[in-house]
Amino acid sequence: MAEGRWLVEMRGIVKRFDGVEALAGVDFTVGYQEVVGLLGDNGAGKSTLIKVLTGVLPPDAGEIYFDGRPVRFRSPREARALGIETVYQDLALVEMMSIARNFFLGREPVRFIGPLPVLDMVEMERTTRRVLEEIGIRVRSVWEPVSVLSGGERQSIAIGRAVHFGVRLLILDEPTSALSVRETRKVLGYVEEARRRGLSVIFITHNIYHVYPVADRLVILSHGRKIGDFRKGDISPEAVAELIAGGAILPEEGRP
Amino acid sequence: MGPETVEAPSTLAARRRAPAARLAALRRSPEVGALAGFLAVFLGFSAVAPHFLTLDSLAGIMTIAAELGLVAIGVTLLMIAGEFDLSVGSVLGVSAMAFALMARAGAPHLVAFLAALALAAAIGALNGWVVTRGRLPSFIVTLGSMMFWRGVLLAVTGGFPIAYEGTSALFFALSGRLPGGFHASALWFLALALAATVVLTRTPFGNALFASGGNPQAARALGVDVDRVKRIGFVLTAVLAALAGIIQFARFGSVDPLRGEGVELEAIAATVTGGTLLTGGYGSVIGTVLGALIVGMVRNGLVLAGAPAYWYRAFIGLILVVAVIINLRIRRR
Repeated sequence: MAEGRWLVEMRGIVKRFDGVEALAGVDFTVGYQEVVGLLGDNGAGKSTLIKVLTGVLPPDAGEIYFDGRPVRFRSPREARALGIETVYQDLALVEMMSIARNFFLGREPVRFIGPLPVLDMVEMERTTRRVLEEIGIRVRSVWEPVSVLSGGERQSIAIGRAVHFGVRLLILDEPTSALSVRETRKVLGYVEEARRRGLSVIFITHNIYHVYPVADRLVILSHGRKIGDFRKGDISPEAVAELIAGGAILPEEGRP
Repeated sequence: MGPETVEAPSTLAARRRAPAARLAALRRSPEVGALAGFLAVFLGFSAVAPHFLTLDSLAGIMTIAAELGLVAIGVTLLMIAGEFDLSVGSVLGVSAMAFALMARAGAPHLVAFLAALALAAAIGALNGWVVTRGRLPSFIVTLGSMMFWRGVLLAVTGGFPIAYEGTSALFFALSGRLPGGFHASALWFLALALAATVVLTRTPFGNALFASGGNPQAARALGVDVDRVKRIGFVLTAVLAALAGIIQFARFGSVDPLRGEGVELEAIAATVTGGTLLTGGYGSVIGTVLGALIVGMVRNGLVLAGAPAYWYRAFIGLILVVAVIINLRIRRR
């Protein structure tokens, strides 16, 4: 593998829980400006792999490289500091807080009044309004609570936030599984927009049809092993669905 | 909202929309229910209790509200962050007693004051550490803490009260008499309520408090150190309870080992009456100020209305439940 080809390179990742191997030596890569669909049935090891990558769980064996450098994150904060942001399905935003406060949560713009850091509400309002307009979401006020937004709008804002703050790797955990077809299409549009702006994306789902339109590459896990790694053109969505359901390794196409 | 190119209709629509938007904004603010309750209780006692509207009576209300309200400010911040502190009454008693013992032993008041606050901070830090480290419910941890420190207080004093007559600049600053019968504690209460409101609504830490209680997983995913936020909340709450305890001691000149018993529940009542959600993530210190004032008005007003003081708790309980019902109704529109 050529140097500098991958933004993320995980090699031989092993993770055991009480002696059971949740990940049995998984290799996983994400290229620059690449959207990778991470697929598998429930319990296949998708979440565990992502938790190892983002520092939530330490691996029992294996190496992780980010931007060519070996890394071992001890907490999600460390991963975040390097530009890895995870958007969880139902946990992307704090419902009772306003849209603008959510947008800037953890990265608030401040002015100092003496030693006291005070929120720059003008900047918060302006930027949030601009990003909402770019996404095409209309609200009465950016100070309305997030609960007035639909599920798709929330996912879109979470993605818009990652793009705005110059995140390098965006991990989306089942972003479309609770959405209508129309909303799903919109969210997929923002995933493409994110890639255009230079981000790499890991799109976790158990439904190939949710990710197929935007994915560059499809990685399929089953029982803690990688059973497929395809460029999109090399496999049909039906074949991937078959793989996820059956967990059988196709003889020729199984390895890249 | 019309297209941007057509100026006139869009501004017209905006103008027509303004009252509705303002109403929506009002409904979103947690203090509305408390303000209604405040006015109802105020007007009710003004009509029923003969001397309710005198300066003396208002000053008395303010003194009660200030001492309770200082505790309730901390309880509010912590509740917004998603945690309870039932130990504030015991911390209040322990701090007042610690201050009294040190002062009686000849320590300068300022030194005793700072030492008592430091002791409270340590208790608060311990509460927060056990809760966040052990992933335990704060209700249980601080219930234990409440009983433990009350027990320590009773054991150390043998159950006897401590009286200490002294005057100092510190005593005056904490609870000195101001014109009109007010106490200096009212100024502490209002100043700290203002400061807490600024922190809550205008700083990143306030954002972190709301997020920690509203959705801790999302907050963590966005890099908020939820455990640290909560630990700071526990320390702040304990220190404010200690301040209230020492202010009360400065007013009474004595402290008994049962001082502060029941304050934890009154503080929660004031907080919840003020619109803060028991489940965290939503609330306001201004609402809590109104809640504390309601408690003060009820305590003073019942006496002035000639009702036996025993009715006080029953009344507070009633108001608490009615306020929560109103708050929920408003939020659900």
